[in-house]
Amino acid sequence: MVKDIAQTTARCIGGSVLAVSLLTGCFGIRSYPNTLDKNLHVHTAADAGSFFSSVRTAVDIHRVNADCQTEYEGTVQLNTSTIDIGIPPDRWSRLVFVFASSSFLASTSGTITYETLMKPRAGHTYEVTVSYRDDIYNVSVYETQPGNPARRELERSTLTACHALPT
Amino acid sequence: MTRFHIFALFLFTVMVSGCVSHPQTAEEFRKAVPGAFMAKVETFEVNRPFSQVANTFQKMAPQCLSKTIKTTSQTRQSYQVIVTTYTPTVLVSGNKAELHVQQHHEQGVLNVSKEPRGGYYLMVADAQPVNKEKTRVDLYRPSMGFDPMVKAIRGWATGDNVGCPDLTK
Repeated sequence: MVKDIAQTTARCIGGSVLAVSLLTGCFGIRSYPNTLDKNLHVHTAADAGSFFSSVRTAVDIHRVNADCQTEYEGTVQLNTSTIDIGIPPDRWSRLVFVFASSSFLASTSGTITYETLMKPRAGHTYEVTVSYRDDIYNVSVYETQPGNPARRELERSTLTACHALPT
Repeated sequence: MTRFHIFALFLFTVMVSGCVSHPQTAEEFRKAVPGAFMAKVETFEVNRPFSQVANTFQKMAPQCLSKTIKTTSQTRQSYQVIVTTYTPTVLVSGNKAELHVQQHHEQGVLNVSKEPRGGYYLMVADAQPVNKEKTRVDLYRPSMGFDPMVKAIRGWATGDNVGCPDLTK
């Protein structure tokens, strides 16, 4: 009995510390300012496939400098089907799409990510389709030129290939 | 990765290794799987030229399977963290494309036998042309668990629903 109370108390304290830490940003997650012209239109369709499980999607945005070092700028939660984001044009950014799944019954959780580098061109718009269905996820990025409805899919680039990318 | 997956993986490892030693190469893995209890060989044909299947393996395997995954599971009595690194290898020769998937547990799982470089072999997929339009795939895999990975590899072969598997499942 005493042990149960002690465990419950410890759990409550742990939960409170976790909640406060999250609220104060102690884990380093912060909202992306998203103040620039919206050139990235993200379309998200995520379905965990079960009432007892869930999947949350988000995108972390990092600035990439000439030495291929990154600086975290913030996170956008992809909690609606379409979200418009402003990514600085004419410089490299690293987008990390995060799929965080959890199962209530099994009390398990895990996170998987998909990253790509992109250098938006001024005046161009970018469509991103993010999907998660039947435990399969996909991210595709398309570029549309101004005045031309045709779009082309951008090849994925990762940080490991950063030095080979055009400046 | 749930307790079920860990248990399935444990059984798979023990059964494939025959309680003595785990396959140290892809070829040893191919030979061990047909007679193993928790493993099977799945063969299917796709209406897609061999070159396209090989290209998709080469494109998708590194971006989807070259990952380190951390999963947690929690009950009232326990809290478990498992960190697993997956390593894909794609080898393409004239008329054969091989996809090897290995896994190495960085944390949370005890190894039961000698581990080959890159980790235990988890799956091997061999693609070979049947004719100009069709390709045959032999998939050496665990018979339980890892459904997303199997589904993804099948999708890479067929060209339908090409995506990455959620390796946390």
